[in-house]
Amino acid sequence: MTEAPLISVENLTRHYKVGEEEVRALDGVSFDVRRGEWVAVVGQSGSGKSTLMNLIGALDTPTGGSYRINGNDVEKMSDDQLADLRNTEIGFVFQTFQLLSRSTALANVELPLVYRGLPRKERKEKAVQALESVGLGNRMHHKPNELSGGQRQRVAIARALVGNPSLLLADEPTGNLDSATGEDIIRLFGELNQRGHTILLVTHEPRLAARCPRAIRLSDGKVVADGPGAEVATIGAPPLQAPHHGAVA
Amino acid sequence: MKRARRAWAELLEGFRIAFGALVGARLRTFLTTLGIVIGVSTVIAIVAIIQGLDRSFEEQIQFLGAHTLYVDRHPWIQSDNTWWMYRNRKKITVEELRAVQRESTLAVAVAPMAGTRGKISRGNIELETVNIRGTSEEYLNANGGGVQAGRFLVAGDVELARPSVVLGTDVVDRLFPDEPVAAAVGKKVLVAGRPFQVVGVLERQGQMLGMPLDNVAIMPWPTFGRIFGTQRNLTLSVAAPPGKVSELESELTPILRRARNVQPGRPDDFAFNRQDQFLKLYKQLTGALYGMAVGVGLITLIVGGIGIMNIMLVSVHERTREIGVRRALGARRSTILMQFLIESAAVAALGGAVGTAVGLGVAQLVALLSPLAAAATPSAIVFGIAFSTATGLLFGIWPAWRAANLDPVEALRYE
Ligand SMILES: Nc1ncnc2c1ncn2[C@@H]1O[C@H](COP(=O)(O)OP(=O)(O)OP(=O)(O)O)[C@@H](O)[C@H]1O
Ligand SMILES: [Mg+2]
Repeated sequence: MTEAPLISVENLTRHYKVGEEEVRALDGVSFDVRRGEWVAVVGQSGSGKSTLMNLIGALDTPTGGSYRINGNDVEKMSDDQLADLRNTEIGFVFQTFQLLSRSTALANVELPLVYRGLPRKERKEKAVQALESVGLGNRMHHKPNELSGGQRQRVAIARALVGNPSLLLADEPTGNLDSATGEDIIRLFGELNQRGHTILLVTHEPRLAARCPRAIRLSDGKVVADGPGAEVATIGAPPLQAPHHGAVA
Repeated sequence: MKRARRAWAELLEGFRIAFGALVGARLRTFLTTLGIVIGVSTVIAIVAIIQGLDRSFEEQIQFLGAHTLYVDRHPWIQSDNTWWMYRNRKKITVEELRAVQRESTLAVAVAPMAGTRGKISRGNIELETVNIRGTSEEYLNANGGGVQAGRFLVAGDVELARPSVVLGTDVVDRLFPDEPVAAAVGKKVLVAGRPFQVVGVLERQGQMLGMPLDNVAIMPWPTFGRIFGTQRNLTLSVAAPPGKVSELESELTPILRRARNVQPGRPDDFAFNRQDQFLKLYKQLTGALYGMAVGVGLITLIVGGIGIMNIMLVSVHERTREIGVRRALGARRSTILMQFLIESAAVAALGGAVGTAVGLGVAQLVALLSPLAAAATPSAIVFGIAFSTATGLLFGIWPAWRAANLDPVEALRYE
């Protein structure tokens, strides 16, 4: 009766060897995400959020466990298949935007379609459309250094959207933005979710996580809570969590 | 279909990126290509000069008829110091001339040639070392060439041992300064102190390997014999029908052996000389030059290639994050590999093109400022560019491979 989940993660682990020690960045994580969901991933710095996103984004390969997207076993895929999966199924938004600085907004947004082999005209059409859908129709020929932080992140979101992927991944997309701009970006994600996009979003800010219908809390590489955003965003977290980065023992 | 289109799109993207990178960092591009430019221009210049020499040599060698055998006591080109082997051989005399005239069926023309150096004077102008030759009216038929004024020797000159002389243009220019060439015809000159009448002037022949060919005076061989002695060695020029030089050689061998009383089983005591022997020797000499050019080219290309490899490694390093982004957006390893290979090949091709242009310029300059000729064949240009492009590809493999095998997560995190 229930539709098969878009992604299904089971007992996923990712261990790093640092010298003699083994760092368990992810230590047996299991959950499903259905089509059309908007899920926040929260947790303290070093809890494994980015590690999880990289695995789901097929940028990294797990040490153990299984990960299925659209019913396909990702951990069995070849490097080329992973590249194609990233190209067609996943749109990634990064904290640091990761735009190509020498290319215009339009060229940046076209890039995933280049690797899909679309003809130039079609590529441009779709890129323009994507830029317009994030409200940047009038900034297409600007280079990243001619755009504000919020605009850059919108370009990055357009780039993630342009290939019409099954899943949008965003790792702290508001981390480099002031809170008002961050608000705008989160609102944009809300709209995208309204339009049917499935979104997995990492955030440090409980205030933002609380807006998501569902949130998953990680701690030491394990899922410690999975439920409505408003609940998960607050439980077990200090009321005012300042984002801090750095090595965690 | 879809794969082909994707490959095409990626290829175009590769060129676009390469172009952007090359134009974006002009100074670096210039420095990167410098090694290749120097290497390619050196090789192109050397090759152009050799090819120029080749061409002018082939032109110069024309004075030796392409279809003519020169029968002499010894080969004109000797491998090492073997001249003493030929020193005691019998002279070639009128006997052999008569035998060839009588018995050869293939020979188109036969002319004897005796030569020495001597004085020619007119009034108070005296030329010290003119090449004086004694021959017959067949000379031009056997050797090629022609007269530009007057006439050549005729049978009567030879039969009657007339004091007739045909002069080369150098001699005429100096004996009759400020006068048209034709003015010499009919004038009197002194050859080795004896009066002669100028009957004709030869066409200009230029020079061979720096030796002027127009400093000559040609007279009937009986006349030559009276002045310089009849016991001189002769060289016979025997012209064959086109393409039958070797057959003529086979025919002449027994005729000459008989005329010279060579016992059966004994080796020939004469030699056939041909134009193409000079060509062969010449090719050997320039072959060594070519080898040098190739050696220099190879070394500089390797040096240039290492330069490209270095710069490409730096470029890969600098663009680590870009590589990560491209991988995250769906570029395969092979896409990244190709992108960087295109870039290094493009840099090298650019260097090759500039180097070719510079090399040709240098060759032209050398041709202008020195007696050396220079000629560039299209093949030299194609090779110059093709080899440098191949160098770029070869030395781009390692940096491109490194780029392709970067871990996407690490690359994206790279500061
Ligand atoms: N390449 C690596 N080598 C070794 N350890 C790593 C590596 N990448 C991550 N880790 C470790 O894995 C753990 C989880 O890291 P991760 O980046 O997923 O945390 P995070 O939840 O995203 O933190 P933050 O909120 O600060 O971004 C950390 O302890 C980190 O030190
Ligand atoms: Mg993180």
